[in-house]
Amino acid sequence: MAEYRILPPRSEKLLAGLFITGGIVLFAVVAPFLVQDPRFSGNDAFLPPSADHLLGTTKLGYDVLAQLAHGARGSLLVGLAAAAIAIALSLIFGIFAGYAGGWTDEVLTMVTNIMLVIPGLPLVMVIAVYAQSRSLWLVAFILGITGWAGSAVVLRSQARSLRSRDYVEASQVAGERTWRILLVEILPNLLPLLAAQFLFAVVFAILGEAGLSFIGLGPNGSITWGTMITEAYGGNAMSAGAWWWFVPPGLLIAVFGAGLSLVNFSIDEVVNPKLRVVAETGDRRRAPEAAAPAAAPVQPAEPKAEVTA
Amino acid sequence: MRYYLRRAAFYAITVWAAISLNFLIPRLMPGDPADIMLAKMARSGEVAPGVERTIRLLLGSDTNQTPWEQYVAYWGSLLRGDLGVSVTKFPTPVTELISAALPWSIGLLGLATVISFVLGIAAGAWIGWRRGTWVDHIIPGSTLLQSLPYFWVALLLVYGFAVVNPWFPRIGGYDVFTFDGPEATAEFVGSVIYHGVLPALTVVLSSFGGWLLGMRNMMVSTLSEDYITTAEAKGLRRSRILIGYAVRNAALPSIAGFGISLAFVVTGAIVMEQVFTYPGLGKLMITAVQGNDFALMQGLFLVITLTVLAATFLMDIVYGFVDPRTRLNG
Amino acid sequence: MTRPRARRGMLLAAALTTVTLLAAGCSGPAESDEGPVDTTLNVWAGSQTPITANFNPYAPTVLHGALGPVYETLFFYNKAGGGDPVPMLGESFAWNEDGTVLTITIREGVQWSDGEDFTVDDVIYSLTNEVGRSANLVSAEASDDTTVVVTYDSPQFTNEAAILGGAWMLPEHVWAEKSVEEATTWANEAPVGTGPYTVDTVSEASYTLVANENYWQEGKPAVAKVRYLGIDANASAEDLLKSGDLDWTGMFVPDPEGVAAAGGPTGYVNTPQDPTVLYTCANADLGCKGPQTDVAVRQAINIAIDRGTINDKAFVGLAAPISPTYALLGRDDQWIAPDVEKESPQSGDPEAAAAILEEAGYTLGADGVYEKDGVKVELTLTSVEGWTDYNDAAKLIAEQVAAAGIKVTASTATWQEFSDSRQSGNFQLIMGGIIGTAVADPFQIYRDWFSGEYTQPVDTQLEAGEWNFTRYSNPVVDAAVAQAAAASDEQTKMDAYAEIQHEITRDLPYIPLVINATQTFYNDTEFTGWPTDEDLYAFPPSWGSVSAGFILANLEPVE
Repeated sequence: MAEYRILPPRSEKLLAGLFITGGIVLFAVVAPFLVQDPRFSGNDAFLPPSADHLLGTTKLGYDVLAQLAHGARGSLLVGLAAAAIAIALSLIFGIFAGYAGGWTDEVLTMVTNIMLVIPGLPLVMVIAVYAQSRSLWLVAFILGITGWAGSAVVLRSQARSLRSRDYVEASQVAGERTWRILLVEILPNLLPLLAAQFLFAVVFAILGEAGLSFIGLGPNGSITWGTMITEAYGGNAMSAGAWWWFVPPGLLIAVFGAGLSLVNFSIDEVVNPKLRVVAETGDRRRAPEAAAPAAAPVQPAEPKAEVTA
Repeated sequence: MRYYLRRAAFYAITVWAAISLNFLIPRLMPGDPADIMLAKMARSGEVAPGVERTIRLLLGSDTNQTPWEQYVAYWGSLLRGDLGVSVTKFPTPVTELISAALPWSIGLLGLATVISFVLGIAAGAWIGWRRGTWVDHIIPGSTLLQSLPYFWVALLLVYGFAVVNPWFPRIGGYDVFTFDGPEATAEFVGSVIYHGVLPALTVVLSSFGGWLLGMRNMMVSTLSEDYITTAEAKGLRRSRILIGYAVRNAALPSIAGFGISLAFVVTGAIVMEQVFTYPGLGKLMITAVQGNDFALMQGLFLVITLTVLAATFLMDIVYGFVDPRTRLNG
Repeated sequence: MTRPRARRGMLLAAALTTVTLLAAGCSGPAESDEGPVDTTLNVWAGSQTPITANFNPYAPTVLHGALGPVYETLFFYNKAGGGDPVPMLGESFAWNEDGTVLTITIREGVQWSDGEDFTVDDVIYSLTNEVGRSANLVSAEASDDTTVVVTYDSPQFTNEAAILGGAWMLPEHVWAEKSVEEATTWANEAPVGTGPYTVDTVSEASYTLVANENYWQEGKPAVAKVRYLGIDANASAEDLLKSGDLDWTGMFVPDPEGVAAAGGPTGYVNTPQDPTVLYTCANADLGCKGPQTDVAVRQAINIAIDRGTINDKAFVGLAAPISPTYALLGRDDQWIAPDVEKESPQSGDPEAAAAILEEAGYTLGADGVYEKDGVKVELTLTSVEGWTDYNDAAKLIAEQVAAAGIKVTASTATWQEFSDSRQSGNFQLIMGGIIGTAVADPFQIYRDWFSGEYTQPVDTQLEAGEWNFTRYSNPVVDAAVAQAAAASDEQTKMDAYAEIQHEITRDLPYIPLVINATQTFYNDTEFTGWPTDEDLYAFPPSWGSVSAGFILANLEPVE
């Protein structure tokens, strides 16, 4: 099974994606040690970018680069934690349901479908208000438990198709335990798909956090890209002409999202070899085990409309 | 038959769950609405004694009803079409607020979503069709669009095209400085369209990338199907293959997604409406949550959930016709 | 004002398809063409969309247009500049010796906007109806056609402004039928008032008022139409102000000079009124918990704070210095005792703060934070999310007091959390406001915010009218407040105030920060008659209750 999962050769998209994503992750990990205290107000306010402050300063005199570095850390933590929770849930509700079938499937699928139709952002808003003081982790948790339904649907249909494969049936006949079949036979085949879903969930959560922050329901006291945009907006950065405060956090979110999408693209090409495009249009290689079209992992845009609003 | 029964059960249970959740969530919200309202009014410095008593009367929290009685009463009034009275916009009935906001949300966001979808699908189909050529370089750009935060885009557009270059209006669904309210004149309609440009552009810009990528992938994968090869072997015209075979099949999953996303239009681009002071449902939602306006919140939840369900239902029917396999896969 | 927009709309309707091109093309200068001068005044008073018609002054969701422009009071008290009350629907009033009987003479010849005469019955209804009546009221009776005698069960000198300048005069012939329930929940969509304006139209985005033809002040109002807008975000309002679309608003703008520079209205006045403070849950006896229950910690924070920097950075230099006595500097100076600190220090003194803590038995821990009996001086300072000036000030305070060995964590909260915690007393420090008094006298602050009778134990919600969030309770203050309430001569009152001021400047249940800016922007090129720094005849912001109507009646369009 392992051979076809080898990454396609010479993928510029993958390289670009890895470069962007890696760069930003590195920035989040390393930069906070190299910059000023992001809450040091001793600098002058609204300084434009200069040698001392590469990205200028905010209304309170905070160094924007320092805020951006710590914000990267905050946003990525929210994204990763929320995505981990969402993926764990979608594994249960997707793969387990898809494999188990019968009543278990019916019930779990029902839950998934209900989660899918109940409006996400309002639910998040209500939960966020209910939580008296919101840490970064709590916000991640809220975004995680409300953001799994989409990938559960995708994973379930994939798991169902795998269930009827010969080698799975063979294991069943051989009397292997359900959990073993799930972990050893099914899961590895879903890994690329899971990875893709995970990366989407990360972007989704980062955008969700930004949206929540903007309406005043973000994490208290933490610095994230979302809280930076919100503070810049509240601090009238745009009318003061301080684009260096307002533009970078939003741009970083978009660039990071783009980086992950590019990585995703390459993963998709692994999952679904039909997507591998070779420069010669006529040559359409077909993989022996093509995924069903309905399982194409690139999600339609609607989850975003729902959460970032 | 079993398929339809199962779907029917699904809709029934979902409606019940959604409505019960609607009932439950606001009651779990912390805080005494009366105090919150007082605190807000005190921020602007004036709270007359009469007003204070009124607030207590209106928002007195203890109703002496058990939760079960409240739940039953809730269902009762729901079935009568009574969604209660908004507290933050007292004494306007919730139904009135929602029905006033609904046309704006559907008009603006519905249209923007359709535009974004059509553009995305068309561009995606084209890029997929011409895969392997220079057009592939458009892909990285569209991934960037895909992850733009809505409100950030909205604010940049406002700054660029309403503040620095005052080409477009800053706020409102129509020119509030000229019209004292909606009216049926050509001028008014013009004003509405003019005011919708920036909000619509926000939606299109930040959602079109997703459609494009999804469609492109489906297109590429459809083009390697046997029937395409067969069609080519038969010597059919390229345009016939493109439209009649590839696009038609590739667009199927996107159309399913479109149904859902159209339904989510009602949730509105919540934050975007705030930026433009656009009179849609999203703005109402923020008002409701921030003001602990239970009735309004429940009403909005209900409308949104029912719309999404209706869209899903529609898609179910369409799919049942188009693709008989769905009926088996559930 | 509205001309260019109207043209834009028309052109647009003509060629809908080329929206973008067209918009670019018609943003040029306005054409001064045919038609009368448009004298609509565009106002933002803080309303958000959707606007729903509610002109019931007893309703919490009442629109600003009702309060002053439509309904009036007996007298007008100038919150901004002090001075004698201006007769409105009342002509004169007199108190008896002990302040329990108030005799009011009303203006003759005033008509309601539906043509009925304004009479003593209306005054009596307005003062005695179940919703609006004062808890201390015994009776209100007409002694003749123009005189009302109102009796109270206790001295009411200190409530004079609330009664005469705060009670709305409502038409008895419209309201008398209403039950309590109706009187509070009725939306009163077509209000009958005595004020300079009547309601014309209401839509979800705006509402308009038009001049009351029968207004009792001859020749007023001169501005024919006033439009109140709903705007959802401050930033949007600021953009509209700068583009000249708004003619009058009271809102916080960090760079007031920038408004006129960008083409907005040139009239500007800043009238700082409301104290911004740190609420501390101060009273351990009533259940407060945390280091701030020790007066030494409060004193240390008080002098460690660098108010100058806070004003410069968080309030962009627009706030005014505060007096720890809560008398408004400049207006209420005569009420400040000579031997108390008149003004809170502008610069921080961390060493002195540390000295106070050491004297009180605190020792500096290895982490640079003072501690006593194993408890560190660590506090959480909460401010409402989105009030950027408060959020910023909180962050600065956290940074400043750290130098004095006090660890403050600045955190933000939603409305709900903010309101909940201050009502129940479950907080350590909150960035908050004190409502400034409507007259040149700090009494109301002393009674409502400092006295032990206006508070509740922690975990018990404060009742209506109680504002003492700190749970501060001091018998000396309570006795002095009672003494001041009954005082009919100024010396007795001053003695009582001196006593209160000594106690509260030492105990600091509220730690004073600044007097927050109240900015007002107005279009003085197209309209004249605004309150200015030289002639502050009324509290200027557009959201000011009573005063907004007073100002509107005074405005005149420039021909």
